[in-house]
Amino acid sequence: MSLVGEALKQLMRKPSTLKYPSEKATPPPGFRGLPIWDMKKCILCVLCQNACPPSAIKLIGKGQEAKVEYHLDRCIFCGECVDACPVDAITMSGQYELAGSDRSIMVLCFGKEKPVIPVKNAP
Amino acid sequence: MGYASTIKVPFGPQHPALKEPEHFLFECEGDIVVNVTPRIGYVHRGMEKAFELGTYSHDMYLAERVCGICTSAHTTCYTQAVEELMGVEIPARARYIRTIIAELERLQSHSLWVGIVAHEAGFDTLFMYVWRDREVVMNLFEELTGGRVLHAINTLGGVRRDISPDAVLKIKGGLDYFEKRTKEYLRVIKTERTFLKRTSGVGLLKPDDAASLNAVGPTLRGSGIRNDVRVDDPYIAYGEIPFNLITSDGCDVLSRTVVRTEEMLESINIIRYALDHMPAGEIRVRAPKNAPPGEVVSRVEAPRGELMHYARSNGTAKPERYKVRAPTLANIPSLCKTLMGVHVADIPIILAGIDPCFACMDRMLIIGKKTNEKRYFTR
Amino acid sequence: MLAYDLFQLIVFPGALFLFCLAFLYEWVDRKFFAKVQNRYGPLYTGTLGLLQPVADFLKLLYKEDLVPKACDRNIFSSVPIVYVVLPLTTLFIIPISGQTGLVAFNGDLIFVMFIFALMTITVFLAGWSSMSRFSIIGSVRSALQMLSYEIPLGLALIGPAIAAKSLSISSIVQWQSANATWGLWLQPIGFGVFFICMLAELELVPFDIPEADTEIVAGWRTEFSGRKLAMFRLGRDLEIVLASALVTSLFLGGAQPLGLIPPVLVFLVKSLFVVIMLSFARALFARFRIDQMIAGMWKYLLPIAILQIILIQLGLGV
Repeated sequence: MSLVGEALKQLMRKPSTLKYPSEKATPPPGFRGLPIWDMKKCILCVLCQNACPPSAIKLIGKGQEAKVEYHLDRCIFCGECVDACPVDAITMSGQYELAGSDRSIMVLCFGKEKPVIPVKNAP
Repeated sequence: MGYASTIKVPFGPQHPALKEPEHFLFECEGDIVVNVTPRIGYVHRGMEKAFELGTYSHDMYLAERVCGICTSAHTTCYTQAVEELMGVEIPARARYIRTIIAELERLQSHSLWVGIVAHEAGFDTLFMYVWRDREVVMNLFEELTGGRVLHAINTLGGVRRDISPDAVLKIKGGLDYFEKRTKEYLRVIKTERTFLKRTSGVGLLKPDDAASLNAVGPTLRGSGIRNDVRVDDPYIAYGEIPFNLITSDGCDVLSRTVVRTEEMLESINIIRYALDHMPAGEIRVRAPKNAPPGEVVSRVEAPRGELMHYARSNGTAKPERYKVRAPTLANIPSLCKTLMGVHVADIPIILAGIDPCFACMDRMLIIGKKTNEKRYFTR
Repeated sequence: MLAYDLFQLIVFPGALFLFCLAFLYEWVDRKFFAKVQNRYGPLYTGTLGLLQPVADFLKLLYKEDLVPKACDRNIFSSVPIVYVVLPLTTLFIIPISGQTGLVAFNGDLIFVMFIFALMTITVFLAGWSSMSRFSIIGSVRSALQMLSYEIPLGLALIGPAIAAKSLSISSIVQWQSANATWGLWLQPIGFGVFFICMLAELELVPFDIPEADTEIVAGWRTEFSGRKLAMFRLGRDLEIVLASALVTSLFLGGAQPLGLIPPVLVFLVKSLFVVIMLSFARALFARFRIDQMIAGMWKYLLPIAILQIILIQLGLGV
């Protein structure tokens, strides 16, 4: 019976859970969400590609055609690419709803001309 | 089912009491367990081989993923081993930050466990309350490291993020609330009659047995034996922080619960001390790419007990052999001993009592097709 | 007259009304339990998740119905229906919309006790026929549990009957309204004993031993799926209605008209209060072990129940 007081207190309290799809938690700054490449800054140095533990990053092409292919399905959100980038072209956004049921659409391309080239209906 | 005198009750690989796939076969006479056969190997992930394939800096993240709950214990152990191999000395501030993160992790792991043990005893309301207040620590993690579960803050040569003065205040605020709540739950655990009935005197593990069967962590300390890597072999900043070693000599599930809950209170004090005495300075030094040939064993007190990593290098950027001995594996023999002669109804709470984390400890199992002989690869 | 009788039996306050009540009470129970645990509970189906129990029921109805090979097919498929029919039948006895039940007869209190025993036997058969280890352990536990709580339950039921000098629930309700009192004030101990026995009968925490989900999966219900499980859930909900209706009728004055308020509303409010109390009680405790529960029932609850009977007799004698 030692939980009675605590239990009675809850009747007056607002539930501490969120109504998830309609109410969403806002991640704090510094949260490691979806990484975004700013291709205007990018110098195509491949350091992020080398730093990536699960090899989720691939640099394709040269010069203006070059693009960064980012495999969301392989990414472990460690943030090593952000640390490795010498020009701070990579930022980790607060986006966290990245689950999907199809691996083929979980590839994001960041190009020099078009900032983001979404693959079909990428998140 | 025949008229055998014993009835075989299987627990797992899928069972609501076990959150991970592992199999225990209980032979029961009436309501009493007379024999138990564990069978591990359902979630073997080939991690140790994977360690050999990655470079030292990439293996960091593999070590983090050995266990989902004690991620920072595994990375601390890994970095400690590899830094020893490479001969890197990390800055003092980094050592303190690692300690703070490790202790915060102990808080969340132990409160997770208190919730689970309450749930196993059918005490769902306590489970909900404990897990609700665990969110405070999880949010602190999110703030400090950018990840709620996988912190990715330890790195070879130090830590990746600093704790700002702002964050220090936030941690202290969170800890004040968490301490108040933990004291309240300790009171509930010690006074709620139905919970006491289910836990006190249940799952007795005598001190001799605990010692001779090599139990580790709170299971061992719950049997009254003073053993803690943080005290016996201080690593990171533990040698500079005064704290008490918590033991309880009830030898039952209740004393394991009390040990863990009081350890949470002690962890709060450790974090407070570490925050106040954190030296200023660098947080990271550069680590070399390759490690000179050699081998090393590193020990860490994970929330579940003593965690051991072994690494052998051959001068390249990749380890030649890497081995992880997770605390749950060390607790399995004593667990089987504890389970003898208990009621069927007490099995889940005793199983949960060692805070099992089966995926971390799983071993490869080979079963001979003809002889049905089982061989575990534990070395 | 026949049409009206049929209407009473099928629509109000008969089967249809009782089914709605069962779903409503399940919702109240879940919502209140969630509130105590600082959660929302059912939220999205209907207003405030009001339709969630119905949705669960419908979902289960058209899920695959698996029957284990080893089970006793006849018993296995008939038990779920019996489990629904038993509490439904009993609810016809209890006065809901007026001061007499639909099929009130003298001695129906005994019948209620008989039904409670029969429900446990149904549960036992359900577990036994499915031939699964968990089911058998669950069903044996439920039989053991019945052995321990049945006598205190009987004694607690007899209390109001002695006071009202009748074995009919309807006349007990009428006696309470005639004497302008509640059974609760006259025999609070009996009320407590009855409440604890109801927790055990409904298999709620701390007495959810036969279906302890962390120990023996779902106990006697482990092997049931699809339509059969839906029936069991409905039966359980009806049992909650039955328990709250019984507590209301025997101890809280039952369906008395209160000024202009129709008796059915009074009944609903009182029984909702009982449901909330049941769900509050199940939030506060850990689960007992079967041996602890049996020992506790025989050691403490039975003497207390006998003491209540003695007190009533003394009160009547004076």
